[in-house]
This record gives sequence, structure tokens and C-alpha cells, in this order.
Amino acid sequence: MDYTNKLHVVYDDNILGLDGKDFQYLFSYEQGGPESFKIKGKEWLYRSPRPTFWRATTDNDRGNGFNVSSVQWLAADYVLPCQDIALQVDGKDKKLPLAPKTNRYSNQEFAKKVKITFTYQTQTVPATTVQVSYTVKASGKIKVNVHYTGAQLPSLPVLGWRMIMPTPATSFDYEGLSGETYPDRMAGGIEGTYHVEGLPVTPYLVPQENGMHMANKWVQITRATTLNNADPDAAPFRLKFEAPKKGKLNFSCLPYTSAELENATHPEELPAAHRTVLVIAGEVRGVGGIDSWGADVEEKYHIDATVDHDFSFKIVPELN
Amino acid sequence: MEAELKWLDDPEVFRVNQLPAHSDHRFYRDQEEAALEKSSYVQNLNGRWGFKFSKNPMERPVDFYKLDFDRNDFGEIEVPSEIELSNFAQINYTNITMPWTGKIYRRPAYTLGDNKEEGSFSQGQDNTVGSYVRHFTLAEGLKNHDVHVVFEGVERAMYVWLNGHFIGYAEDSFTPSEFDLTPYLVDGDNLLAVEVYKHATSSWIEDQDMFRFSGIFRDVNLVAQPSIHVQDLKINARVADDMKTGSLGLVLKMVGQPGSVQVEVADQTGAAVLNRQLNADGNWTMAPVQLVGIHLWDNHHPYLYQLTLTVRDATGRVVEVIPYQFGFRRVEIDQDKVLRLNGKRLIINGVNRHEWNCHRGRAVTIEDMHTDLGIFKENNINAVRTSHYPDQIPWYYLCDREGIYMMAENNLESHATWQKFGQDEPSYNVPGSLPQWKEAVVDRARSNYEIFKNHTAILFWSVGNESYAGEDILAMNNYYKEVDDTRPVHYEGVVHTKEYRDQISDFESWMYLPPKEVEAYLKKNPDKPFIECEYMHSMGNSVGGMGSYIKLLDKYPQYCGGFIWDFVDQAIEVVDPVTGQKSMRYGGDFDDHHADNEFSGDGICFADRTPKPAMQEVKYYYGLHK
Repeated sequence: MDYTNKLHVVYDDNILGLDGKDFQYLFSYEQGGPESFKIKGKEWLYRSPRPTFWRATTDNDRGNGFNVSSVQWLAADYVLPCQDIALQVDGKDKKLPLAPKTNRYSNQEFAKKVKITFTYQTQTVPATTVQVSYTVKASGKIKVNVHYTGAQLPSLPVLGWRMIMPTPATSFDYEGLSGETYPDRMAGGIEGTYHVEGLPVTPYLVPQENGMHMANKWVQITRATTLNNADPDAAPFRLKFEAPKKGKLNFSCLPYTSAELENATHPEELPAAHRTVLVIAGEVRGVGGIDSWGADVEEKYHIDATVDHDFSFKIVPELN
Repeated sequence: MEAELKWLDDPEVFRVNQLPAHSDHRFYRDQEEAALEKSSYVQNLNGRWGFKFSKNPMERPVDFYKLDFDRNDFGEIEVPSEIELSNFAQINYTNITMPWTGKIYRRPAYTLGDNKEEGSFSQGQDNTVGSYVRHFTLAEGLKNHDVHVVFEGVERAMYVWLNGHFIGYAEDSFTPSEFDLTPYLVDGDNLLAVEVYKHATSSWIEDQDMFRFSGIFRDVNLVAQPSIHVQDLKINARVADDMKTGSLGLVLKMVGQPGSVQVEVADQTGAAVLNRQLNADGNWTMAPVQLVGIHLWDNHHPYLYQLTLTVRDATGRVVEVIPYQFGFRRVEIDQDKVLRLNGKRLIINGVNRHEWNCHRGRAVTIEDMHTDLGIFKENNINAVRTSHYPDQIPWYYLCDREGIYMMAENNLESHATWQKFGQDEPSYNVPGSLPQWKEAVVDRARSNYEIFKNHTAILFWSVGNESYAGEDILAMNNYYKEVDDTRPVHYEGVVHTKEYRDQISDFESWMYLPPKEVEAYLKKNPDKPFIECEYMHSMGNSVGGMGSYIKLLDKYPQYCGGFIWDFVDQAIEVVDPVTGQKSMRYGGDFDDHHADNEFSGDGICFADRTPKPAMQEVKYYYGLHK
């Protein structure tokens, strides 16, 4: 097949397949999101990525009751049903092809650009929606757009997109600020390109939100293992996430979800590290610091849930 | 005189036969010893001591101090150490709540009328007792001298016997306690016996936010008294208005035979800047000597001069050499209520520091102190508040040397007696205005001053922490004002007791006041400079919004900055039996209740002294006004 400038599209039952040279992506209608990002034979998804709203409660969050006032977002983060899927091929809307209409297609379907949008409904009162679209080009690059629709809801702990990778990363690199940074604690961050070995979890006495990196141009995750029983190759492989041309990208890269962090009372109670949990955060709430028994995070570092929020980034496979 | 257990219940008994506090100068037999910092007048008693733990006073071996007592069932304990960390007693962390709350009903003596609370501690079921014994033979250098024993720190009340004779009693856990052993010393083997109680009336005024420990947790030394001896030294180093001319005066308190004292001062190149002889004419005062073109001491250039006192007896033989390094610096609050050091505005980029080591508790080591100072320097931290008690003596010398500004705080906190469930409710506050509690707290102020008065690094005295205010704290404030006209006095508690605001504290200090409210104060033509004795509560993932405080420094000269709460997480490292991993444990992790859980983890360093991620923010903001 000639992959040079066209994306191979497989309009199949329950799954939209998009592939090109050295990459193969599966978008699952059942799972309501991407199911597989396979790049040069290496799988990058363990579970379908989702928007994320909850950060593991910090001591300051507990002290000022933010975990109480925002607790709806814990549920919203934990379960987030997909309500709708929309498809656009080469810029034109296309009704999502479901069986038996899928029988009309062949293995010779191509496009320059395919965009698939998943709409999720939050289990909040009132409910609101978050749309995540994946625009895939023949190059294998994926542009991810996240749109949050404002509603009369409590301030958000975080607004991000969470991707769980099958195995723990060996390291990650990024271009941005040194150390761990938050919107209200990033003045001391020094710009540069940084390499972080392993997936360190900051050992606060009680595990909590940690590891955020603000205002980056890109982050690249390096892994060396897969779950594929037929893949004995231990050579490292990488995936890069880039900020849009005008804008920055915030991320954390940890072996745990916020729910896992939330449940532990000591670092050693955290589960053995099996995955890589990458959160690309469009909006990050400050950590605060005035005191730990009531003082709120300064207003300008809140995430207002009553207004719309948009963020985007690119997933850039390293292809030859 | 015999020891009486009821002293534990009586706030008016807090030192019995304890020698008066004096300056912390070290003394040596000769210049050679001084150069090596090894005094043959001192015999260190640290090490393994005989030990018996008792759950309460009723179960203690009452006569254990007697020479013929059968101590076969005694084990051993390391001195210094915390009894709880040797696993004799349960570890517990509580912040404000007293450790016995909900278990034993107690109120402080005299707070509810004439309630004397007899038996409150002397028969307290929770009042653990450590019975310590140590055999010693005097080292050669101590023989034929009067000999004192000095306990640098013992929590919380202590009875001392030597060879079966009662020597004395002391409270005030964080201040050295010194007793004269001379009358009962014998040639050959001596038996020192110490009975340490976890609780006494002093527990009410040592309610600091910390793990609640007991034991001999700092060094113990025997100290020989030279035949003629400088018992107390007061260095009076002042800076004239031109900030170039210094004056140096001395006041010595001498004991022993007549003799003479040679006073020499050298600068850092070793060049002599002063050489005087004081003779035994009954006047051991050196009137202020003017010194032109002095080097000033500050954080960037902690310039210290070397003072050496050489004490000779009547025959001219050297009996004592005292080296002491001091600096010239001048701290003041000007007419515009701006804090100044050497004429320049002083900005405090500070931290609060508990003495903490995740293996040793409050029995910190010199290495810990060096590590802390290294972290200070690395991160532009220029000041420390000794929260909330006097620290080990070497820390003050190190801060002199490194140019770290100190707020030297007394051992005082009575938080539980006036703040309950977040509300001010001082119905049984101590010390309050109670006459029965006044001397105990004024004595703490006196000890803090007398011991540390010569430390250049100390810029401010702090009368204590979170103890409300009344006539007794006013008396502490006034004590400092009487004895020291060179250092401002700090106390925060008057924000809860406005009626004392005009009488207590040279600073407006309000811990954790949000930046907007700090600004509101500063806008209104303040009559005192503002300092945050605690701010930026660094618990867990915190220290956000620091910039809002720091920018006030540029807008308001009356803003002094503050001290981050705090420096190092208080947590205890153990091996987790389930995973085999090292684990930092906190309140409630030892089945201890009431406990305040992880609230002790407020450092900008983890408990093992690794800086937290927030440190780079501290370094940045503290670097803006170095």
C-alpha cells in the first residue's frame, strides 16, 4: 500500500482504524475513545484516555475543605461515560458508520485527515460535557483538542487529559521549567531541557497531587518494555507530546492515577508501579500555601468551572 | 534536703539547687587546649547509662539512687536519646491538644480559683519515669576542683542525686540545667542518678506542635571549675551612628581566688586590635573601648572578631583561657518603624526550625546542623526562628559564624490552655496573669538571655509561641527590656490579646496572616514593623502564592518578611514490615491517639532533609532581597 501521503482508513465494526507507515491507531466506539496507539510495533495505550478532573487531595485542599466542595469531580473523574461520537473525514462531517453499513467499505479507503470527536458527560449536578477530538494526519501526528463546557459547578481540581500507558516509563524528558511547578509556584522554575529518570513520586508523608510541570514546549516519554508476549526487544522507544505553536503544555508523568494516590496513607502503600500515567493538564489549580487549615488558594489560581475551557496538544510519533 | 515528688504538681517549684544561668562561653586550661577546642576541664558523660523505665510514678523504683539499691533489673539506654525512640514508651504526635486529653482530666493549677491540682502529675497514670544511673570516676583534669554537672536538655522534669545524696531538681526541658556536685564527690567511683518525668506542671507550658518525647536528649557533661574562673561573660559590642566605629565593653563575673584577666581581641587576620589587663580590684568590668574602622557583621559578611580572655591566678599562672568570637552589628527599629541592620533595611528571608532528626527525634547532631546551614546557604535563607525553644548551644555559634539572623525564642507554648476547637477560649490559660506561674516563665526568659546574650547572630528575643498573653508574659517582655537595650523583642500572641499590644512586642507579628491583610495593616501608617513569625505553611505540596508576600517588601518598608513554617518535616523513619521499604511515620502511625496525623510534616525539607520541590520557589523569592 502506498502510505506516503494518505492515511489508510478502516471503517470497521465498532472500530475506526487509522494507519500509515509504522503506526496503527484504533478508535473504539464501544470504549468511547482511542483503544490503541501502536507505533513502530509498540503499544502506547493500556486503557482509553479520558478527560480528568480530580487531583489527589493535597494537605492544603483538605485543610480548606476544597476536597469537600469539589467532590463531585471525584465521581466525574472516576466514571465518565461517552455520550456521542462524531466523525469528520478530510474536513467533511461523516455519519459514524455502524454495522451493517460498514459492509459498504473496503480495505482501500484513504484520507488525508480524519477527526474523531468523543463527547463525555460528567456525573455532576448539573451535568456538563467535555469533548475530546483526535485529528490524525498521514504523518501519524495526532492533534488532540479538549473542550470543556462551562456549567454551574464547583471549581475544578484540574482539567486535563489522562493517558495510561501499558508499562512504566524508564524516563522522561521535557523542555520547560525545572522541578515541580504549579501556577502559584512556578516563579522559581528555571527554563531548560530536563531529563527525569524513572517515574518519581514525591514522597509527601501522605501521598497527594504531585509532579506537575508547568509551561512546557514538549514532553517525551521513554519506555523499554511492552506487554506484548512476542516482543522480546528491550530497546528504548519514545513518544513525544508537543504544545501547540502558540501555547504551552502542562503535564505530570507518574505511575499512578489520582485515585491510586488518593487511597494511600503512606508512599509504601501505593501499588507496585505497573503503568505510566500521563496527564496533559489544560488547567491546573494552584497549591496554595498561606496555611493548611482554611486559607484558600488565591482566586486567580482557581479553575472556574462555570466557563468554557479549551486546550490542545499534539502527539508526535518518532517515525523514520 | 530531700526531693519531693509534689514539686511536679507545683508551678512555683521549677528549679531546686539549680545554679544560675550564665553565658555559654567555653573555657580551657591553656591556649593549646583552646586551639583544639578540647577542654580538660570537661568530662563528657554521654554513652550507655543504666536505665529502668516505669509506666508511672507509683511503679518507679523509689530508692534507685541509693548506693546499696539492687539495680539488677536495670537495662541500658543511650544518652542522649529519646525514651520513646528506644521503644520503652509509645510515640505520640499531637499539635495543640494535650497528650492526656480525654484520658485524664486535668486543669492547670490555680487557673480555676484555688485549684492546686495536687497529685495531678505526681500520681499521673500517664507520667512515665526514666530512672537513669551513671557511674563515673573523675578524669584527671577535674580532680581537686569544684565540679558541676550540666544537663543540656532533659524532657521534662528531672531529679538528680549523687552517691545517694539529693542534688537538685529542674524543669525547662530545652535549657541547660547545672548543679554543683562538689559536696558529695568521692575519689574513685561515683554514682550519678537521674529520675526523669515525662510530665509536670511545665507540660502545660511546653505544648509545642511536636512529637511528645521524654528523656535525657542532649549532652551531659561534668565541668570542673578553675580556681579562678569567669562564671559569666557579657560582651558589650556596639556600633556608633557612623556605622564605622565600634565600642567594646566587658562585664565579667568572677569566682574563686584573686587573679587577673588578660583581654585580647584580634581581627580575622589575627592582628591585635585590643589588649588590656583587668586586675583583681573587685571591678571586673572593662569600660567600653572605642575601635575605629570596624568590620561589621551581617549575613553576607559574617565578620567575627576573636576575643580571648586569659585568666591567671595570683602567681601569674594561667588557669583558664576563654575564646569567644563576636561581631559588631546594630539592629534597630527606626522612627519610621523600619527594621534596620547596620543602618540598612533588614529583610528576613527566614525559616522556623524545630530540632529534628528522623531517627533521633530532637537529639540532633552537629552533622544535622551543618546540613541545615548548607541548605540555608544554598537557598538564600538568611534567618531562623528557634521555634519554639532554645536549641543546642552549638547551633548559636554556627549561626554567628555563618551569618544567620536568629530570633531566639523561649521554651514556652501553652496553646491548649487558650485555643480550643479553633476558638480563643482562655478560661484556664497559663501563664496568663497568674502569680503562681510568673516566676517559672520569667526564669525561662532569664535563662535564654543569660546563656545566649553574647551571640551576634541573635537579633531578636522571642518570649514564646502561642501562649495568649497576660501579666506574666508582659513580665517576660519587660525582663528583656531591662537587661538588653540592643535587641527588639518579639511576641505574636498579642494579636489575641489586644489589651497588651502596646506593652508587649516591638513587632506587629501575626502568623499566617494572608497577604491582603498584611497589606491592610501596612497601609495604615503602622506603629510597629510587621513580621510574619510563621508563614507559608509548607505542609505536603504547598508554598503556592509566595510572591504575594514577597512583593509587599517592595511596597512597604515596614514589612520585614518572615519565617516559613517550617524547615524539616517531623516524621520518624521506620522499616515498613509489610513491604520492607523505609517509611516515614507520623502521628497516629503508632496507635497513638489523640494524634494530629501528618500535620507535623510542614517542612520545606522532607524528614530526611531532602528539599521538597517547593524549595526552588523559596530559593527564588528569597534571592530577590538578599
